[in-house]
Amino acid sequence: MKFEGVDYYNVDELLSDEEKMTKDMVRDFLEKEIEPLVVGAFHQEEPLNMRELAPRMGELGIIGAVIPKEYGAAGANYVTFGLICQELERVDSSLRSFVGVESGLVMYPIWKFGSEEQKNKWLPLLAKGEAIGCFGLTEPNRGSDVASMETVAKKDGNKWVINGTKQWISEASVADIAVVWARTDDGVRGFLVERGTEGFSQTFQNHKGSMRAGDVGELGFSDCVILSDNILPKTEGLRSTFMCLNQARYGIACGAIGAAMDCYETALNYAKEREQFGSPIASYQLVQDKLVTMLIEITKGQLLAYRLGRLMDEGKARHQQISMAKKNNVSVARMCARTARELLGANGVSLDYSPMRHMANIESVYTYQGTDHIHTLILGYDITGIPAFAQTQ
Amino acid sequence: MPNMIVCVKQIADPEAPAGSFRVDESANQVVPAAGVSQVVSPFDEQAVEAALRIKDAHGGKITAISLGKSFVMDVIKKPLSMGSDELILLQDPAFEGADSRSTAYALAMAIKKVGEYDVIFCGRQAADWDAGQVGSGIAEFLGIPSVTVAKKVEFLDGKVKVERVTSDGYEVIEVSTPALITISNELGEPRYPKLKGIMAAAKKEVPTWTAQDIGADASQLGTAGARIKLLKVFQPVKEGKCEIIEGESPEEAAANLALKLREAKLI
Repeated sequence: MKFEGVDYYNVDELLSDEEKMTKDMVRDFLEKEIEPLVVGAFHQEEPLNMRELAPRMGELGIIGAVIPKEYGAAGANYVTFGLICQELERVDSSLRSFVGVESGLVMYPIWKFGSEEQKNKWLPLLAKGEAIGCFGLTEPNRGSDVASMETVAKKDGNKWVINGTKQWISEASVADIAVVWARTDDGVRGFLVERGTEGFSQTFQNHKGSMRAGDVGELGFSDCVILSDNILPKTEGLRSTFMCLNQARYGIACGAIGAAMDCYETALNYAKEREQFGSPIASYQLVQDKLVTMLIEITKGQLLAYRLGRLMDEGKARHQQISMAKKNNVSVARMCARTARELLGANGVSLDYSPMRHMANIESVYTYQGTDHIHTLILGYDITGIPAFAQTQ
Repeated sequence: MPNMIVCVKQIADPEAPAGSFRVDESANQVVPAAGVSQVVSPFDEQAVEAALRIKDAHGGKITAISLGKSFVMDVIKKPLSMGSDELILLQDPAFEGADSRSTAYALAMAIKKVGEYDVIFCGRQAADWDAGQVGSGIAEFLGIPSVTVAKKVEFLDGKVKVERVTSDGYEVIEVSTPALITISNELGEPRYPKLKGIMAAAKKEVPTWTAQDIGADASQLGTAGARIKLLKVFQPVKEGKCEIIEGESPEEAAANLALKLREAKLI
């Protein structure tokens, strides 16, 4: 049956035919082709085989959807990209992470800051899913405090020598190309490091309690030498980095609502069928209160994501607005996953139902791409004019 | 390169639970609940897929035609998003109340207006009423051969080779073009639309033709042209009865069960 999804405020009516058709296509594809693989991958912590799945996603045009057609992508709008993320995360966060990273953190910086040669070489391959990229920013000792990153790139004639470690990197072990951020004498710059480059290591990280269906790992740079052509020439300090993060954070804001929708639907269906004390548990006021709370928060989150998408399309979105949507919608997903797990009772801890998996995944999403605290401080700074990111000396 | 036409129908999602539908006995209608989505009839999607496979191999042009009362554009444009070149909608109060015959007549008149065609594809049946007559009816009105329940269609010069599903396998039939082929689910899954295809489809202007546009004889359309009268739509009352067959031993219980079944003339 065609999945309609929760849409209490008729948000779908605000969408164009193109946007609705894309949402339906992605839903249909994921439900038939990928959803059946997710639980096993999560349970075994064997990441979904993106070498196989990425070309199929690429063929449909859902990788890097907003990148212009001239580079082999679809040239769609941000609302469409947001709906793609929503549908991906409705199935599993690792899928949205994959497309979010490829689109916002790999293709976007190459498109915005790359040379024409870099764009022509990498963007069509990435859009088709024939190449996979990753984004190296976070480090073992530097998370939110990215400005003091330890990875350095030293100029040596017509080469750059990179040293450092990047951790918690989505698609780290499978990537063909890494967009790596490193400190230089001219501030932070972005570099392209290809798989197999001497001194460049890519490792998969297991023993995670979250994002177990996805590839997460570490990038190591030990006197890693790349040609000077591999710098992203138009990167200008952390401003460029944050421009990439804004893309991915928008994807998260939309994706998280997808996870919340799935949790709500699972809980609602369960509550209508599960009987205790002679009645479906949905007939009890305490249960209805929880369901209604989830529905209201999801609806607000959907409207936030939708409006943010339109602002992105108009080029008017401020990064603080993106922070608000990321912070709010991930918190909504976190609450909905926990509430749904609770309503499912003991069955809620089983991987036969999705809320526990979503709950585990959302813990990563709550922290990555700007922690919840950081987004609060971004908004606090915006409305007061007083930065509160660091202790004053 | 072949010119192909595919007839598609927009229907209420046939996979919606039976409880989502209500029978309005006074109007002799089945009414889906408000939340039931509209879809392209799945067999018709497979008909589009059959045409696309020929287009992949030989090129050509695919024109989808749909007759309906009210269209949901993001649904009915799916054949375009999958790769069809044109979509024509037939919409007119005169088409309403049609049976398979008057539907086939209207579609045949529209196909005549489209002009040149080598192969016409339909789903084996629409997944709402499951009548399975419109395809053959169109062929009859156009005076062309038809082959039903196909699982594979190959376009050869001047003819079409069809693998037709039978109860115990399939038969291979060659038919001269122009011909009408109805497609069965054994053809395989229809392709997913691609985002670029969706974007092109969304922008595509879709003409709507009325009865007058297709030069139809009003007496052959809708209720006037129908030859079938639907006497009664009703929901059968299902009765469940359970009887436990006793016995001193499993063997005796089995023997008692066999007797009961024989008494009921079930074995």
